[in-house]
Amino acid sequence: MVPASSESTVVLPARVALHARPAATFVKTALRFRARVTVGTDGKVADAKSILAVLALGAQGGTLLRLSAEGEDAPDALAALTSCVSGLIE
Amino acid sequence: MQPRGGVSNLVGIVLVSHSLELARGLADLASQVAGSEVKVEPAGGGPDGSLGTNGDAVREAIARADCGQGVVVLADLGSSVLTVRHLLQGKANGHVRLVDAPFVEGAVAAAVMSSAGQSLEDVARAAEEARGASKF
Repeated sequence: MVPASSESTVVLPARVALHARPAATFVKTALRFRARVTVGTDGKVADAKSILAVLALGAQGGTLLRLSAEGEDAPDALAALTSCVSGLIE
Repeated sequence: MQPRGGVSNLVGIVLVSHSLELARGLADLASQVAGSEVKVEPAGGGPDGSLGTNGDAVREAIARADCGQGVVVLADLGSSVLTVRHLLQGKANGHVRLVDAPFVEGAVAAAVMSSAGQSLEDVARAAEEARGASKF
């Protein structure tokens, strides 16, 4: 069986960079799912379950994030992550 | 061992440095990123407060960090590693794990993994895999 894969985009709130606390909140959300999840910005892609990889994206507020998930719970993971990103606060 | 103060059962992190300031500063940073639920305990400096390491401080930090799910220990350089190894000698039950990891990146990665409720195995692996992570 081919694992389910899904993609989605979400924009970081204008004043929230994906660093420190917000990045950890994002990673913790991704870790709740079994799916392999990546997050991409301009030209960079990171493992959404790795805090160091997510921090290295250096995504600033207002950045468009491309989320991609693969695995049984991929749709749930993307729904949770888009909701997480929209609700991030500094 | 039961967690104290109602803290949830997470893997504890101990940071061993020659400098107490370095260990404390990194503990602050890791806690700020991962959140205060995970116990990140610094141990640093010699018995007289000079630069160095001492086993008693490390032992106490491990006891403070231990909430029952195991403890991951990171050391900065050379003799910090020896101090921890000496302390753990003969107590190799796997509950307290010294990891070969970059100090700053490993501590942050381990703290975030722990705060997500991951196992000792996964927290230790995240710290060790930090070596391969690019900063930008």
